[in-house]
Amino acid sequence: MSYVLEFEQVTKEYRGFLSRRQFCALDNFTLRVEAGEIFGFLGPNGAGKTTAIHLAMGFMRPTQGNGRVLGQPFGHAAARRRVGFLPENVALYPRRAERLVRFYGAINGMKAAQLSKRAAEVLEMVGLKDDAKRNVSRFSRGMLQRVGLAQALVNDPELLILDEPTSALDPVARVTVRELLLAARRSGKTIFLSSHLLSEVELVCDRVAVLHHGHLVRIGRTADLLHSSERTEIMARGITPASFAGAVVHDGMVRISVLALEQRKTLERIWELGGEVISVVPQRRSMEEIFLEATAEPQAITGKGAP
Amino acid sequence: MKPVLLIAINFVREQRWPILVMLLSVLLLAFLGLTTGAAGRGDDLLFVFKQVAVYFVAFSVFFGCSAIYNERRSRRILSVLSKAVSRQQYLSGLVLGITIACAIYCFALGMTGSWTLGEAGFPVSQVWFLMICLIAACTLAGTVALMFSTFLNPFFAAGATAAVMVVPFVLSRTAGLSYLEFFMPVSTLATTVITSSFNSPGKVSWFPVILAVLETLLYWLLSTRIFSYMDIAVSVE
Repeated sequence: MSYVLEFEQVTKEYRGFLSRRQFCALDNFTLRVEAGEIFGFLGPNGAGKTTAIHLAMGFMRPTQGNGRVLGQPFGHAAARRRVGFLPENVALYPRRAERLVRFYGAINGMKAAQLSKRAAEVLEMVGLKDDAKRNVSRFSRGMLQRVGLAQALVNDPELLILDEPTSALDPVARVTVRELLLAARRSGKTIFLSSHLLSEVELVCDRVAVLHHGHLVRIGRTADLLHSSERTEIMARGITPASFAGAVVHDGMVRISVLALEQRKTLERIWELGGEVISVVPQRRSMEEIFLEATAEPQAITGKGAP
Repeated sequence: MKPVLLIAINFVREQRWPILVMLLSVLLLAFLGLTTGAAGRGDDLLFVFKQVAVYFVAFSVFFGCSAIYNERRSRRILSVLSKAVSRQQYLSGLVLGITIACAIYCFALGMTGSWTLGEAGFPVSQVWFLMICLIAACTLAGTVALMFSTFLNPFFAAGATAAVMVVPFVLSRTAGLSYLEFFMPVSTLATTVITSSFNSPGKVSWFPVILAVLETLLYWLLSTRIFSYMDIAVSVE
């Protein structure tokens, strides 16, 4: 298995300049992102997501542990040539969008001949073709975020590290970005996506990890996490909802949500009452439920055993 | 080399307004030369020339002090250092940017000085030697300020730079420790500019200039070393 991004027992502590107080943003954090996947990185505010990303980009050094980006240690400048990064708060130099994207491409070692074409391409991809000649200082926050995404894409990166890429976008732009990410995955790129928009993560991510207080508290394939074996939804007709606790009428049928353990008993009761069972479907959980559950738990998955 | 040059040009572009304001003072010198008659007001012109020259040393310190701080505070540094740019290249770009800003200013001042002071009888070759002294002094001052700003707030970085530039010079003059003058030749080079006059334009001595260039390289290396250990994503407030 090839990993494009690896954190090996990384700890990051922040210390005040004069005070002895320490704050541990990441504690013995281990994570591996496989090539070609969209990896969702979740966690509440202050969980350590941005710290982990900044460590991977080499903006700061870990207190302990180490990691690799595209096989090179964190902070390796040549490895960053193949990485695209969008920071949480996009801050760009005030100049024309096209020139700005070309500037970022040029400092990343791209040739002038390919830059003009590529800058126009990525601006079109993020829906800013008509605003390419406008100064970004006059852009809205959503447009700035799209220019930020364009500068991250300009070098056609193998690994995209995106910190809240859709937080300031309107629903239309969000769909554009989602399609862009899915297209990137189809072309073999890896995307490391930190986001608070759980519905977005649910839609696009192959795997997700939940970080809480600097600890990894949940990790797995999105489909596995969303599938719940705990509850089942039974649709039936020919019965009255009053016979079952929590049952509701929906499209002329009765919908009953029961614990998986009580499924058999409920079905038998429906038949006893002369009802007809239409469907029995294991209930899908939402990413929000998983997130809330994970961040409420005190235990953490840490150390070498973590995926 | 290309990223260094691009970062340098970008720095000059970002500092275009302070540079333009300073260039206005050069315009003032040109205006004085044009309106007052250079031949009769030579001393006044030389006074203004020396004034605007030495101000730029202070400006280069401000450029150096605030460069990293502004980039970190605005978080623009993250987008630049997320590309294939090493921290050494980034700082080299800033040092080159400060040097280019100084060169633009000194070229404009040198051209105006050659015209106005030359007409008043001041040796034109000496004007350009003074400009070389000024570029060397400004670049060194800016690099020292940049070095301090890698780990200090701009206010303290400016103070530390001023102390490093002035204290050895003052000690060399007051305590008779003449060798200390060359510990930091910014003051020596600035004094060369300030003390020049029509009667005594000053002698051409390249030693402080060469020393300033070598010390610029030394402080640049020191700053890259310190900067490589800094957490740049941490808030600077």
